[in-house]
Amino acid sequence: MDRLAALDRIIELLDAPEGPTVNTSMRLPDTLREAVALAVGALDLAPSTTTFTADAMRTELNRVVLRAGLDALYEEYPDARPTLAQVTLARAQQDGHPSADEPHTIERAVGALGAARPGVELDPDDVLLWIDAQRAVGA
Amino acid sequence: MTVLILDNEAVQALVTRHHPKFEIVVAHLESHARRGGQRQLPDAVWVPTTVRVEAGWDRTDPSTAHANRLNLRDRPLDSDRANAAARLVQLHGVSPADAHIGAMVETLGDEVVIVLTSDPKDIARVCPPRSIRIVRI
Repeated sequence: MDRLAALDRIIELLDAPEGPTVNTSMRLPDTLREAVALAVGALDLAPSTTTFTADAMRTELNRVVLRAGLDALYEEYPDARPTLAQVTLARAQQDGHPSADEPHTIERAVGALGAARPGVELDPDDVLLWIDAQRAVGA
Repeated sequence: MTVLILDNEAVQALVTRHHPKFEIVVAHLESHARRGGQRQLPDAVWVPTTVRVEAGWDRTDPSTAHANRLNLRDRPLDSDRANAAARLVQLHGVSPADAHIGAMVETLGDEVVIVLTSDPKDIARVCPPRSIRIVRI
């Protein structure tokens, strides 16, 4: 099965109604298994280790499938890949950051941060934190 | 967890490669995908099925294959939620798609909910007063 077909099938499975359960023979580090058992039994973080494990797997699958889907999109349409400034503006709008209406501030911050940390892969949160810090210093 | 919900125009933008807002919506998805931290972890991106109908997105249409691969998950209405959505339509005179979003948000727990929409006023009217973030595209 090629990568795109696998991605399509994973999404189809995640979207399908949950059917019967199956036992698995997954091998886990003993320490991890005990830690999960304590999290469930002593901290009451989930109804059962099965629920805990299934929820963790579902969360991680959602995350990696979206990542893989976006990467596939950029492979098909290279010009669809947003710049760091565009992604940071989106994050600012989603999180109600003060620079949500200031694309030029974000672009300047991306430029300044890139010059200060050449070669470092930057994240939208890095840029917003930089803007917050610059404002705090200037206040 | 952070839940991202797409309204009609956000869906239309995503399934139409040359839509003027395509890049804006992709940037929002990229932002969602890059979230970290326990409370901010990204959940799937949700598309209420009524929104999909309004946007005219047929998932079997090969020209929208790129959108199918973005883990945009259908959220259908069950009987109780359909009743809740019908009440929202009667109360606020909004579209069935906007009412579907409101009925869906009512069922959520402590997730951070973000709605991408071109009609923030209607979304604000149908969503319960909770920590919902409405982003205009």
